[in-house]
Amino acid sequence: MKSSDFKRLTPYLYEIPATYRADMRVPARFYADAELLQQALGDKSLDQLANSATLPGIVAYALAMPDIHQGYGFPIGGVVATRVPDGVISPGGVGYDINCGVRLLGTRLSRDDVTPWLDELANQLQRNCPHGVGRGGEFALNRRQLADVVRQGARWALAQGYATKTDLERTEEGGCIAGADPTKISDRAYERAQDQLGTLGSGNHFIEVDVVDEIFDETAADRMGLFPGQIVAQIHCGSRGFGHQVCTDYVARFQRVVHQYGIELPDRELVCAPLSSPEGQDYLAAMKGAANFAFANRQLLTHLIRRSFEDALAGKVDDFSVYQIYDIAHNMAKIEEHEVDGRRVRVCVHRKGATRAFGPGSPVLPDIYRDIGQPVLVPGSMGTASWVLVGTEGSMAQSFGSTCHGAGRTMSRSRAKKEVRGNELRRELEAQGIHVRAGSLSGLAEEAPRAYKDVDRVIEIVHGAGIARKVARIVPVAVVKG
Amino acid sequence: MSDDHDDDAIRIVEHTADWALRLRGRDLADLFARAAEGMAYLLAGDLSAVSLDEARDVTLEAYDAEDLLVVWLGELAYWAERDGLVFPVAQLAEVTPSTLTGRVRGGRPPEMQKHIKAVTYHDLKIRPTERGLEVTVVFDV
Repeated sequence: MKSSDFKRLTPYLYEIPATYRADMRVPARFYADAELLQQALGDKSLDQLANSATLPGIVAYALAMPDIHQGYGFPIGGVVATRVPDGVISPGGVGYDINCGVRLLGTRLSRDDVTPWLDELANQLQRNCPHGVGRGGEFALNRRQLADVVRQGARWALAQGYATKTDLERTEEGGCIAGADPTKISDRAYERAQDQLGTLGSGNHFIEVDVVDEIFDETAADRMGLFPGQIVAQIHCGSRGFGHQVCTDYVARFQRVVHQYGIELPDRELVCAPLSSPEGQDYLAAMKGAANFAFANRQLLTHLIRRSFEDALAGKVDDFSVYQIYDIAHNMAKIEEHEVDGRRVRVCVHRKGATRAFGPGSPVLPDIYRDIGQPVLVPGSMGTASWVLVGTEGSMAQSFGSTCHGAGRTMSRSRAKKEVRGNELRRELEAQGIHVRAGSLSGLAEEAPRAYKDVDRVIEIVHGAGIARKVARIVPVAVVKG
Repeated sequence: MSDDHDDDAIRIVEHTADWALRLRGRDLADLFARAAEGMAYLLAGDLSAVSLDEARDVTLEAYDAEDLLVVWLGELAYWAERDGLVFPVAQLAEVTPSTLTGRVRGGRPPEMQKHIKAVTYHDLKIRPTERGLEVTVVFDV
């Protein structure tokens, strides 16, 4: 694709017209500035965005956020809404890590309170929170217990004493999506999940201790309990092998039926089926179950983080308690109501590497956040900032209540491994005052900050485009990498 | 094999977010054996450090040849996650576009370098070439 194939609609929004390719059903739009546009043209992400505009039943336009990068099937950063019930649902449009997401936890501690004990806190997080390739956790569950997790999500953790009611209130969907069906999930998925609840995994997943660097919206920050110099913590992970297997099973199953529904696609990873079909309904019920597993997973990691703060800080600071600010999903398909061409319609919003960002007044938001909009948590790369945003009226009007999910990769993992040495990177980060604990040095190198776009630039675009609003910028002081 | 290595049969290709292998083989059986070797390298790194003291029989069915390749590599990725084993050697008795029968040999690497979440169908097409077959597989990691 070249720059003459699209037009600029607003300072931060571009459109590829539906006439670009005969198989596109709607235009494709993406948020960018001049620099991120050039980066997007550097890989196949915009072609993948155009591919996603071919899905049957797609509404209005296919969208991509400024952290767009090449994925498989959909681009990462893609948002597609399909009509309910006659549009399609695409497992590849959600991705393998169903309900990968971010949780932000607050404390009543300032940087000065924690600095003397930061090394010990990093050690305790590393010790208590299983991370890295092949690491199982302490919460080994049998099939019946896993079925309970599938149905109940974070509510299961509450019943077991690993959560507070406030944790659940401040989680997207209350930590439990209704309609999950454990019988729609394969034996192999349950087998993979046995010891994976309460584990971080590997790749780009992390637990991070951060300091609030700057506040941009006093009212919203105050509502979240955020103040300058405050210590907060982030979790980035998803549904582990359980979700990966659910997606694998349904992408394979859909391959066998897609032609029965008369659907032709430019990429087999986009495989889909009508929402109203038996296959579509089964996937939706299974995906909800995997999403609930992920909510429970981040909740158990929250429990382990609380234990780590206690182990490291009890007797050294006045208050080591950890409270939940919010938990969001960025790989999910959800049935929502949005305004399209002046009418309220029910659609299935696929977000693959994009965050729900509902604006003020949304009835699904908890009371404490309803008038400020949904908190949106955007992690950067380790060594750079992360952001707290809120959803806006603009995100509801423009992007099916969606915004960006991270910095977005710009360098391949193989190139990052060639250009970056894990031990040198760790020294660099330590020199910046960031305590690093990594599952492997090669994995650390793959996730080097230079492999990612400038997250601050991504945020400027979503803020400038009005599909989220800046609340606070936070910077890392300790990182546990998967 | 290394990231810089291209022995014409297995090559790691650039992909922004994930890992991809371009594979070549004389026929389906050779292509699938190369795919197993390449994925074992992604998982374990130095394959000379992997003992070949574990053997497993494999029989698989699928919708078509590309589907079979995903199912095949998915089986090996599953064993890597569940059992901590990689299988770089595949002795495939028969591979048709919809069935595979054979035996794999491998063992536990000193350290698992990578976790493969899934094998994708992204742009997956087994293409004939002058010397046999070629395919590029993208892994979600």
